[in-house]
Amino acid sequence: MGDSVRLAVAASERAERISRAVLAALFVLFALTFAAVALVRGDTFFFRLATEALILGGVAMAVDVLLGYAGLLTLGHALFFGLGAYVSALVLKETPSFWLAMGATLCVATLVGLLAGVVFIRARGVYFALITFGLAQVVFKAVYNTRELGGSDGIIGVPQIDIPLGLLTVSASSPGSFFLLTLIFVMLLYCFLAWWMRTPLGRLLVAVRVNESRVPFLGFAPWRVKLAAFVMAAIVAALCGALYPMLRGLVSPELLTFQTSGNAVIMVILGGVGTLIGPLYGAALLTGLKSVIGTWTEHHLMIIGALFMLSVIFLPKGFAGAVLPRLRRYFAGEASNASLTKKDAGH
Amino acid sequence: MHGGACMNELLESLQFIYGPQIANGLAIGMAVVLMALGLTIIFGLLDVINMSHGEFYALGAYLAVTLAGQGVNFWFCLVLVPLLMAAIGYFTERTLIQRVFHSKDRHILTLLLTFGLAIITEDLFKLGYGPNPYKPESPIPGASELFGIMLPNYRVFLIVAGSCIIVAVWMLVYRTRLGAMVRAAAWDKHMAASLGVPVERVYAGTFAFGVALAGLSGVLLAPIYSVFPTMGKDFILMAFTVVIVGGMGSIKGAVIAGLLLTQVQSISSLFISPVWSEPLVFGIMVLFLIVRPQGLAGRLGHG
Repeated sequence: MGDSVRLAVAASERAERISRAVLAALFVLFALTFAAVALVRGDTFFFRLATEALILGGVAMAVDVLLGYAGLLTLGHALFFGLGAYVSALVLKETPSFWLAMGATLCVATLVGLLAGVVFIRARGVYFALITFGLAQVVFKAVYNTRELGGSDGIIGVPQIDIPLGLLTVSASSPGSFFLLTLIFVMLLYCFLAWWMRTPLGRLLVAVRVNESRVPFLGFAPWRVKLAAFVMAAIVAALCGALYPMLRGLVSPELLTFQTSGNAVIMVILGGVGTLIGPLYGAALLTGLKSVIGTWTEHHLMIIGALFMLSVIFLPKGFAGAVLPRLRRYFAGEASNASLTKKDAGH
Repeated sequence: MHGGACMNELLESLQFIYGPQIANGLAIGMAVVLMALGLTIIFGLLDVINMSHGEFYALGAYLAVTLAGQGVNFWFCLVLVPLLMAAIGYFTERTLIQRVFHSKDRHILTLLLTFGLAIITEDLFKLGYGPNPYKPESPIPGASELFGIMLPNYRVFLIVAGSCIIVAVWMLVYRTRLGAMVRAAAWDKHMAASLGVPVERVYAGTFAFGVALAGLSGVLLAPIYSVFPTMGKDFILMAFTVVIVGGMGSIKGAVIAGLLLTQVQSISSLFISPVWSEPLVFGIMVLFLIVRPQGLAGRLGHG
């Protein structure tokens, strides 16, 4: 009986993996189609907007690591996004080097993530949401009032850089190539996180979300797992933030506002919580909606808010959460000859 | 002789610098406490973090502005607006909160739902009233001298009225049959239900009560601050801070923390730039979450 159960679990996990890979591949395909259309039409504005959507999608992915896997709702992830953006902008103004900016961001984000994480993960449930919200607001106010960081203007005039990638060099000033670079970067982050969630550590994270008080009985310390997730989410958001000044040539304290954090949460919910690829779809959807609705009314927030509420009530698992089970059933159906009946797997 | 001069200086700084600052802080503190009371009661009973509380506060202020535009007297507004807000709150609880109330992730889902509601309401304000601030006239103009301190009359009224309302809320929750039902439902809803407490209606009623308090503080504060679409967002942070420092669900804690924190804010702004007094207050909140996450006092109905 043990064997058939193991087989069944393996088969269902394989189906799940394939369905997620299909969704991810579809997203890349969709992005590439968009890029081709924009390239043919010689459009710059929408290229930049789509690149921004990808960057914000990366931040949403980081929020999903916390919300979807660790069960921790963060309302202040703008903090790490802004941290990355500011560090990168400061480095780029001194030495316009892509790798130096990313390296510095990685170091600072790890450090700040560790420090904040040690404090934050002690808070549970809504307290975690409120403490992240509070700290992000404090940092926003502090940056807003610090003249050395440009105050309310932020840091402007970040030079446009050339990014050496071994054989070829990508220029951040070319909207098309920078879009592709961002797409590759975000998808690499996705692949890494998807892999990370399949490691023992990632599985422990799910265990902590499902039943935190039982994890110690298995011989693991929940706080270590949560800290790891927090630091990872900080790093991912900061690295995406580091791309922002390369795209726009400036950073402003607005990046640190609650709006950024709130949008990331909306992207996660609309796209599908706990799926990692969902938040990227959510980012595309939200950015698309904003620019489409924005052409005929400036009150797009009302529609987005209503959509968000409807999603919370009727589709709490979001787009990917609705599509994935269908895909999974399809792929599991293909592999259903793996000799499994309910009776075999019975208790 | 020297000591006398020193004493004199101290008295003067008390009269002209600290006194007015403390009194102004007290007036704002009253409104903050009213808003935080609504938040904390809703959390204490329903376990719901109402992210749209700030927008309900703004809605109260906008309703007051609208009614005043129709020629309705301020004092009448003071009664009418909380009643309207209670109806809106009751409706919100029944149609929105109840939909996700029984799911496993109640905390997160209700927080997200009220967050969505906040986005919509803020945009509705912009649509209906435009982004520019309204400044209602003070219903009690002029100023008077109290203990040698010059104070605008309206702020004196705010302190007195606020104290009365706080006492009334406390009496309602701890000294009436209705309050006992609310506390019973917060303590153990199944037991309360089996003893004949209409738990569902108590839930909706409590939410309505909290929303009415937010609306009331909106009406009261409108003549001091201006009325503008994002006014709720600026205020909700302070209210959350008060609720966390005071202890979520605690009425006593909200009152103490609200008065203390607004004093910290108004006195600290004498020594450091006012732009830094806000981070200071939030710093206290973060500190509390680390050191004493349960806050100053326990939860509603939990002692």
